[in-house]
Amino acid sequence: MIDFPAFGSAVAMLAGSPSAWIWVVPGLLIGLVFGALPGISVSMAMALVLPASLYMDFLPAIIFLTSVYTGAGFGGSIPAVLINIPGTSSAVATTFDGYPMARKGQHSEALGAALFASCIGVLISYIVLFVLVQPLAEIVLRIGPYEMAAIGIWGLVLLGSIGGSSVAKGLFAAAIGVLCGTVGMNTAGYMRGDMGISWLLDGVPTIPAMVGLLAASQLFALVNAKFIVEAEEHRTISLRRILDGGVMVLRHPVTLLRGTAIGIFVGAVPGIGSSIANLISYGETRRASKDPDSFGKGNPEGVIAAESANSSSEGGSMATMLALGIPGGGATAILLAAFAMHNVIGGPRFMEQNRDIVYAIILSNFAQAFVLLLVGGAFVFVASTIVRLPLRYLIPSVLVMSTMGAFAIEGSIAGPLTLLVFAVLGWLMSRYGFPVAAVVVGLLLGKLIETEMLRAWQLAGGDAMYVFEHPVAVGIIVVMFVSLGLSVRRDLRRRAALKAQAVVVSAD
Amino acid sequence: MTKHIEAISRRQALMLAAGAGAALAAPGIARAQSFPERPVTLLVPFATGGYNDRLARAMAPFLQKQLGQPVTVMNRPGGGTVLGNTFYMQQPDDGYMMMVHSAGPYIPLSILTRNARYKAEDFHMINLPSRDLTLAASATSKGINSIDEVVTRLKADPRSLSIGVQPASADLINMALFMQAHGIDRSKVRVVTYDGGGPARTATAGGHVDVGFVGGEGFLPIKDRIKPLLMFSDEKSTDYPDVPLLTDHARAAGFQPQSVDGSQRGFVVLKRFVEAQPERYRILLQAVERATKDPECVSTLANQQLATTWYGPEASNRAYLASAALMAQYADLLKQA
Repeated sequence: MIDFPAFGSAVAMLAGSPSAWIWVVPGLLIGLVFGALPGISVSMAMALVLPASLYMDFLPAIIFLTSVYTGAGFGGSIPAVLINIPGTSSAVATTFDGYPMARKGQHSEALGAALFASCIGVLISYIVLFVLVQPLAEIVLRIGPYEMAAIGIWGLVLLGSIGGSSVAKGLFAAAIGVLCGTVGMNTAGYMRGDMGISWLLDGVPTIPAMVGLLAASQLFALVNAKFIVEAEEHRTISLRRILDGGVMVLRHPVTLLRGTAIGIFVGAVPGIGSSIANLISYGETRRASKDPDSFGKGNPEGVIAAESANSSSEGGSMATMLALGIPGGGATAILLAAFAMHNVIGGPRFMEQNRDIVYAIILSNFAQAFVLLLVGGAFVFVASTIVRLPLRYLIPSVLVMSTMGAFAIEGSIAGPLTLLVFAVLGWLMSRYGFPVAAVVVGLLLGKLIETEMLRAWQLAGGDAMYVFEHPVAVGIIVVMFVSLGLSVRRDLRRRAALKAQAVVVSAD
Repeated sequence: MTKHIEAISRRQALMLAAGAGAALAAPGIARAQSFPERPVTLLVPFATGGYNDRLARAMAPFLQKQLGQPVTVMNRPGGGTVLGNTFYMQQPDDGYMMMVHSAGPYIPLSILTRNARYKAEDFHMINLPSRDLTLAASATSKGINSIDEVVTRLKADPRSLSIGVQPASADLINMALFMQAHGIDRSKVRVVTYDGGGPARTATAGGHVDVGFVGGEGFLPIKDRIKPLLMFSDEKSTDYPDVPLLTDHARAAGFQPQSVDGSQRGFVVLKRFVEAQPERYRILLQAVERATKDPECVSTLANQQLATTWYGPEASNRAYLASAALMAQYADLLKQA
């Protein structure tokens, strides 16, 4: 499936054109900075630099944009780890274990793990893209409403009650999230819950809401702390410990590969994308783990799962875009726009006729993964100095930045207002022991599940039996129940064993 | 409707020829008026990367040349253009902002389905060079060969085929009128709704639905994967030259063809501004016209598959208002997907 003459000319193209290289580092840096700013999403970072790419040649322009893509994909994890605010919606699950690690003084390890998992994720996803672009695209195109609804339900089942003191409170929180996620016009054109406010026509602005929820719940919890990391001796910034984080990634190859596989596949499906991949990979890793209770308390596996999946989504969505000309999400839509601005129409024909250019883009992304390791390492090293910043300076700065980010993403006061409303909600909920993370999960998955379920219903014309014509969806649901059943049985056994042990101990 | 536009554009051309003398004197007037004396903004009520955004960005340098001031593009997406339109209504009438908009169908649709507070007549079209037409298509893997096959199967059993369409769209109106003309009960057909042209096309090409009714232009990159069945137009499309037209299909089937344009895209200002600042409006009109006719602009935009036809305000407004009226007439069709 690899066209070797085209490959050769791609190598020649990259070797002979320094202009294809000079934009990699600036692109990664721009991506890192924008990705790390709460409120600026991956696609927004790319939209901001799109006009600049007009003045470059086609290949350098695309390489520049994919560098921003790669950089922003990782950049979101930095504030997620350090201050519990995901820089982009694709880094939500990174906060679940990354931030607890940081609070324990393992910020360097967490960021190192995130960085290595991201780089390896990007690399593997592009290798898969390189070898399997066509078959992957063909499979993805077949993923219809039934399969997508099944994927969404899987995510909600895995994460619906995450982090709560009780399952009931978790489900309540997830339900609030789903409710907020379905505000606005649904796919059939009906308005729900917009209260006559035109800003809500497209639903609750997700990113400001998410930042508000997570920031408020955590920042108020820090009210008596002086620093994010309590113990002074842990407030170090050390390259060696960042590398230790990298070693952790290599020690968990299964988690890494599972996350990458989920990322490539889920990221490739148009309309799902990296934020859902990030959640599902985390949930699946937690479910498969021998010790699910350690998640949410600073288990590096959580960070690895989350970050490998959101980064490998890039390769997946590039496959859909290159082979089909269909943008899987905002970022690839911008890449297609950049194609169009250079008088190139993306899609199957472009792939057939310009295989060398496609290979050059892929090869450049291999290189980007390695460059990201260096640039990202340096960036993380500098960024983690904020653990030395007293919270009385850090918290107000974070609040101001988040508010500005919320304004930037919405282009109006609706962003900051959403942030404020959800900050209050987040504070109230965390005060009374409701898991805020479950609201975010509901917010991200609710709309997807509702939309796809509605389409599935329309497609079936109201006939529930129609679902059996979609074996893949049924398969996903069956696998979900089987795996859930297995973990419940394992939990019960362990609980029984613990009880037996306790009885033995008390008998002594 | 196309025929209207053609006829008027010819008359328009004559008028323009008559006014050529005045046009030649225009730069002097522009200088005397000292408008514009600061950058002009093109407001796009959609996100970066769509057709309107690309049109605005491609036209900007050529407009800049005519206006002598930098021309920048601003995106204000959301609410099916309600947010962008509302924002535009709030701007002063100083001529420093023009919209690049899919005025038809978005402005009338936002009024009919999203209770927007402006009226279709509040907007004034300078030129709407681009039209996108509804295309009925099916995935090649489905083995559906003609629109007649679709009609026969749906007539026999309305539940036999699923249809993908965007709710509150010109495509939905066209689909509904088509079903009505053939006496097919739309409430029995399995209609699947997609919130955007992209998802609707993916569903069509991926075979999630049997037939999709959606703007034809977006299908071009994946042309090989679909079988185009019917174009809702009365004139051959350059993109799909072999696809049957609604007019011919209707003649054969014995009904009156009726359809609305999928999108009418181009330069839009407020009627309020045209009335309050006729001089400035004239300067903008002239700049858009000259930029549109600039041979360099024509070739650059053609390469990006962007339209540069000059219809002029009269024809553009007529086409826009006609499609707005048709939509208002079929508003009840829009409310039930």
